[in-house]
Amino acid sequence: MNYQWNWGVFFETIPSGDVTYLTWIIHGLGWTVAISLCAWIIALSLGSIVGTLRTAQHRGLALIGHAWVEFFRNVPILLQLFLWFFVVPELLPHDLSMWVKQDMPAKEFITSVLALGLFTSARVAEQVRAGIQSLSRGQRNAGLALGFTQTQTYRYVLLPMAFRIIIPPLTSEFMNAFKNSGVAYAVGVWEMVFVSRQMVEETGGQVIESLIVPTVLYIICSYAANLLMGVIERRSHVPGFIVAK
Amino acid sequence: MIQIQNVSKWYGSFQVLTDCTTQVSKGEVVVVCGPSGSGKSTLIKCVNGLEPIEKGSIIVNGTKVNDPATDLPKLRSHVGMVFQHFELFPHMSIIQNLAIGQVKVLGRSQDEAHERGMKLLDRVGIKMHANKYPGELSGGQQQRVAIARALSMDPICMLFDEPTSALDPEMITEVLDVMVELAQEGMTMMVVTHEMGFARKVAHRVIFMDHGQIVEDAPKEEFFGKPHSDRAQQFLSKILNH
Repeated sequence: MNYQWNWGVFFETIPSGDVTYLTWIIHGLGWTVAISLCAWIIALSLGSIVGTLRTAQHRGLALIGHAWVEFFRNVPILLQLFLWFFVVPELLPHDLSMWVKQDMPAKEFITSVLALGLFTSARVAEQVRAGIQSLSRGQRNAGLALGFTQTQTYRYVLLPMAFRIIIPPLTSEFMNAFKNSGVAYAVGVWEMVFVSRQMVEETGGQVIESLIVPTVLYIICSYAANLLMGVIERRSHVPGFIVAK
Repeated sequence: MIQIQNVSKWYGSFQVLTDCTTQVSKGEVVVVCGPSGSGKSTLIKCVNGLEPIEKGSIIVNGTKVNDPATDLPKLRSHVGMVFQHFELFPHMSIIQNLAIGQVKVLGRSQDEAHERGMKLLDRVGIKMHANKYPGELSGGQQQRVAIARALSMDPICMLFDEPTSALDPEMITEVLDVMVELAQEGMTMMVVTHEMGFARKVAHRVIFMDHGQIVEDAPKEEFFGKPHSDRAQQFLSKILNH
């Protein structure tokens, strides 16, 4: 292989300023983590609500949940991001539209968080629904028979068990939030994918170094998410209740 | 206490209950029996509105269950129910299972709820397991906890939906003992069960159902002595032969 290795490239300053490539990558990492975590918070909150709605006995509510999931799950994430970034601002009332296009602070970041959060919420919703439906019908009846309202039955009986059951698939979804955040480069957020692409161009060919470091950082992020969920799973373990070992 | 008047119910086009009429008076113990699929579990679930009915009416303690204006949670909060598969809440300890309804529905304080809960656990012989979780108890123990949980709400009547059908033979007795005690104290009870020994011991009346209809509704002595219908006679001869 005729390749000029140069790991020192990370300590060189970037052409357009006074910081090193390493600082640049760390900034990229910061944006990646920020987008992923914010999107995850949106996904988990909305996903829980929508997933719960899908199991509601009220037909209309269940239908809203269904439509939500099908829209956000069936359109590619990159296209959804473009829709939020380019199309939605056009549909707003004139003044608001101008503000979004010209003055809105951190527009790229907010749009990315929104797109990724909503996309992921559909997937979380499906898991929440599956978790609730995996519980026996008798559990719902037991809650209702005690005098709980529908809402209380979800709050105290169904959701606490449903969430415990779906921790493994939720873990994958949390990790996906980190990996999918890479699409934000397409609207110009300086997250890790963006930075590594810039680095490839500006260092004049240190392709491998520029791509390996973000790769490793992504692995670390996803794995940290995995470990965190593992801790939550152990903490919430119910004595005598076996899901899977 | 419980009045069931001309109740009919359909699952789609399939009729599960046909024109059922009966009643349970205050302090009365009524056993409902019949072959699988005869609609007895469905009927008892209609009493507290877990299953809707299409025709007829059910009145519990003066409140019409199948009236859209009825506050069902309030009505259910003083109608205790015990299920075939116990249905304890697996993520809560035993004492929490007994306290949650009292706190969230009746508005009692945690302390009061725990105190009452412990008394009831003592009564069903599970006090030493108060801090364990349902998954750590045997089926018989879980069902006794489920009875205690229903009692923790100070019910005016109790519904039992095949409470011993999911239990090993040895555990059936410990659950039936609790139920017999309850019956002897004068609790109003409607019990779906195949335990004819229990029926003989404490029931006042026995209802026999088949194909969604109440075929026989007679005082205990009459039912076990000489049932009017052939179908009930057949059923009895099959299950009493062993």
